[in-house]
Amino acid sequence: MSQELLRRAHEIIGSARKRGAQDVRAYIQRYRDSRAEWRDGQLDRVRESTTMSLDLELYVDGRYSTNSTSDLRPDALGQFLDETVAMTRLLAPDPHRRLPDPSRYQGRFEGDLQAHDPRGVASLTGSERRRCARVLEEAVRSGTGAERIVTVSTSSADAEGSWVLATSNGMEGSTRFSNFVLSAEVTVQDEGDRRQRGASFCVTTQRDQLESFDAIGRDALQRALQGVGARPEPTGRYACIIENRYVRRVLGGLLRPLSGRLLQQERSFLKDKIGEQITNPILSITDDPHVVGSYASRTFDDEGMATHPRPIFERGQLRNYYLSTYYASKLGLEPTTAGRTNLVFKPGTRDLTELLRAMGTGLLVTDFSGGNSNAATGDFSVGIRGHWVENGRIVRPVTEMNMAGNHLEFWNNLVELGSDVYSYSTYRSPSFRFVDVQFSGT
Amino acid sequence: MREGMDRRRFLRWMGTGAAVVSVPALTSGCAARSALLHHGPAPASDTYFSRFGVDAPILRRTLEKALGRGGDFSEVFLQHQIIHMVMLKDGQVDQAYTRVSLGAGIRVLKGDATGYAYCEELGEEALLAAADTASAVADSGGSARPTALAAVPTPNRYPVAVPWSEVGIDRKMPIVQRAEQVARAHDKRIIKVTARMSDATSRILIANSEGRLLEDDQPMALLVVSCVARDGDRTETAGESRSARAGMDFFSPQLIAEVSQHAADKTVALFEAIPSPVGELPVVLAAGRSGILLHEAIGHGMEADFNRKGESVYADMIGRQVASKDVTIVDDGTNGRQRGSINIDDEGIEGQRTVLVEKGILRSYLHDRISSRYYGVAPTGSGRRQDFRFPPIPRMRNTYMVSGPMDPDEIIASVDRGIYAETFSNGQVDIGPGDFTFFVTHGRMIEKGKLTQPIKDVNLIGNGPKVLETIDMVGNDHAMFSGAGSCGKDGQYIPVGFGLPTVRAGAISIGGRTA
Repeated sequence: MSQELLRRAHEIIGSARKRGAQDVRAYIQRYRDSRAEWRDGQLDRVRESTTMSLDLELYVDGRYSTNSTSDLRPDALGQFLDETVAMTRLLAPDPHRRLPDPSRYQGRFEGDLQAHDPRGVASLTGSERRRCARVLEEAVRSGTGAERIVTVSTSSADAEGSWVLATSNGMEGSTRFSNFVLSAEVTVQDEGDRRQRGASFCVTTQRDQLESFDAIGRDALQRALQGVGARPEPTGRYACIIENRYVRRVLGGLLRPLSGRLLQQERSFLKDKIGEQITNPILSITDDPHVVGSYASRTFDDEGMATHPRPIFERGQLRNYYLSTYYASKLGLEPTTAGRTNLVFKPGTRDLTELLRAMGTGLLVTDFSGGNSNAATGDFSVGIRGHWVENGRIVRPVTEMNMAGNHLEFWNNLVELGSDVYSYSTYRSPSFRFVDVQFSGT
Repeated sequence: MREGMDRRRFLRWMGTGAAVVSVPALTSGCAARSALLHHGPAPASDTYFSRFGVDAPILRRTLEKALGRGGDFSEVFLQHQIIHMVMLKDGQVDQAYTRVSLGAGIRVLKGDATGYAYCEELGEEALLAAADTASAVADSGGSARPTALAAVPTPNRYPVAVPWSEVGIDRKMPIVQRAEQVARAHDKRIIKVTARMSDATSRILIANSEGRLLEDDQPMALLVVSCVARDGDRTETAGESRSARAGMDFFSPQLIAEVSQHAADKTVALFEAIPSPVGELPVVLAAGRSGILLHEAIGHGMEADFNRKGESVYADMIGRQVASKDVTIVDDGTNGRQRGSINIDDEGIEGQRTVLVEKGILRSYLHDRISSRYYGVAPTGSGRRQDFRFPPIPRMRNTYMVSGPMDPDEIIASVDRGIYAETFSNGQVDIGPGDFTFFVTHGRMIEKGKLTQPIKDVNLIGNGPKVLETIDMVGNDHAMFSGAGSCGKDGQYIPVGFGLPTVRAGAISIGGRTA
């Protein structure tokens, strides 16, 4: 299938050039997506479709546009190219818009990223998906505390397809991929009219790497039950631990301002800070595009540039920005890549139980709710849920509280990373322990 | 522009950042002949089908195929959507974006269960294949026959004098150029301005096994202006947007000036802001865009799918007093050119006004076909979808509270120490307990009944039913938010509107950093 898509990509590049585009980048993807959703002992929804789309970047007389269409019949596509090329001509020229230097296409990673699992795909029929969703529901209902359950929804989904990228200056790449998803969502009765919802899911590229039904089911039920009776604590400054899989919500506010667009538009509090100490030296983060079996892994980025592992923070010092060819040129810097892939952390040596003991008294944050982070100033304020901890032990559930800070101060209050790396996310993060964080409650 | 939060329901405005845009037929008047809009031989003079190149017999065979394994209802949703966007940054209109999307979603219902499939070509073979896939939700065999199709007339709430397909980029570029000039001229501390203007046209055609055949043309216009300002070593950013179901005439010189001046004003005002307080304080919500509170605190919880499944805190509350008698909350698809207005919903039910809370009493959920059948009530026209790739589910349209008796100044004067919340970037709700958040980008302190220093960037968290109960003053100044509200649920993003009069609520937890 990839070869056929590549042939079409080159054909489209040729057609766009014939119409006056000097350079073109074409990205085509085609994939099948299937899922079965199950609820309270019955089939709730089945969905299945195959989709194909074209994304096209046009460089016409020093001008630039991006365009996409799902209507790929020859006539419609011809008209689409006519109009988009003509439209691009009317824009202001932008000398920084150009394809990457072809040397950046070279040196692609050659190992097997295990992005595709044909056997796993072949094993999933419509009835098998329904069975998985049903068994997952049974796993949720077999957990401790199941008598509080109001409703359970589960699903089994998978996708398989290809995407290709080609440019007019010699880049050509294709990827065949699959992914497998199991998810469970459960609602339990809380006090009065209140319910609590808990969800757990797992996404992998290889079917046999999925977590077990029992693990996902137990986790979803546990997350719902742990909210029962939750209340806010008094406003105050407390120590806290952020559970591994939710670190991404607050870390995202530190990483987003590393994008070339925000840097160039003066919307980043991390502008001109390469080499500076931003966080406690215990934090080291690498962007690793070559993690085997991760759905974010890739050998070339959206521009076609070969990917490489890059340190983002090294012992707390900022090492790299996320720079596309365009924004790097505008900033007078060397491009890196604009696309975040997998974030790999240098973990600590103690597990969550030991982190709780080390913290003594404070909050264990197990989920976030809303909030935002200002990329230009580094101020953030987010809602949290979790548990109040005393003497290293969870004593009661907590909700309706906010956590606030400024990233330039907050990350210096990070005192320990756990050993409990969560491996089902592109943020391969352990739990983080902080001291002296501002919380609002009652 | 802030990025929205991840999963769960949340609301974001200023567009999605993802896509958005359409391609113009450059030569005016040519669009009707454009290949983009034309698919196969079209039966002349048949307005229903000519745009999609399908005819009644094909639709009929598709609906029949979809019922082939025993489904009770089938539906075909055809859509052709074109989005265009032009962007200005660093003083130049140097980027444009176009997106064309064409396809058909086939849905089959069997009891409460849904089978769904879509295809991106509209030939009979592809339609029948998708119908066959969707039919698999049922497996009892036997086949009901679809009723013969008959066109159902629809209202026209958002006529457009000149279709977007006839407006070239040459007419759009001056809008963002003008926006930038106005914003820059407004304050010399403004160092960067970005402006983007987009238009979208979505044509839909719905045919179902009950014989209903409907179509709608849904336009959308959007302007977003964002500024960066610097004062000494401080940098602040803010933006403003306007959006409506409208054509090119929406972008009057006054509107462009207003959006740009507000964007610039809001940005430099942040230099005066003091750090937000922390802890529980009473909150006065400014009229208009504070309607995001209703969207999160009650709107999502009233979507009937969450109640049918028992997931929502409101699941057993219909008929109960949930707020003071001054509180009436409406979700309205008939509200003129507001973003959430619809002639018909995406199941072909006419747009309508649904009273959620009437004088404090909880009255009605927002229903789609499945839930209205489940509850045995009339549908409310709330079945919406992002596009043909998704099945419809109960969603909000324009959600607002009607005016109450109070003078807004009296409401502010009644607060000894609290927060006046004016502008928001995003919100979210946890349906089960009804706990919700919204992020205030601009607000003011209220001290001794007076508005004092500005505050910024603070998350507010509260419980929906509890906050509704505490609303004890409702202003007489109802206003709708005129910017670009978008709402996400189950991975589907749709345009929504909201509004509110000035309202006083009880203590809400304020996520600031100073005592």
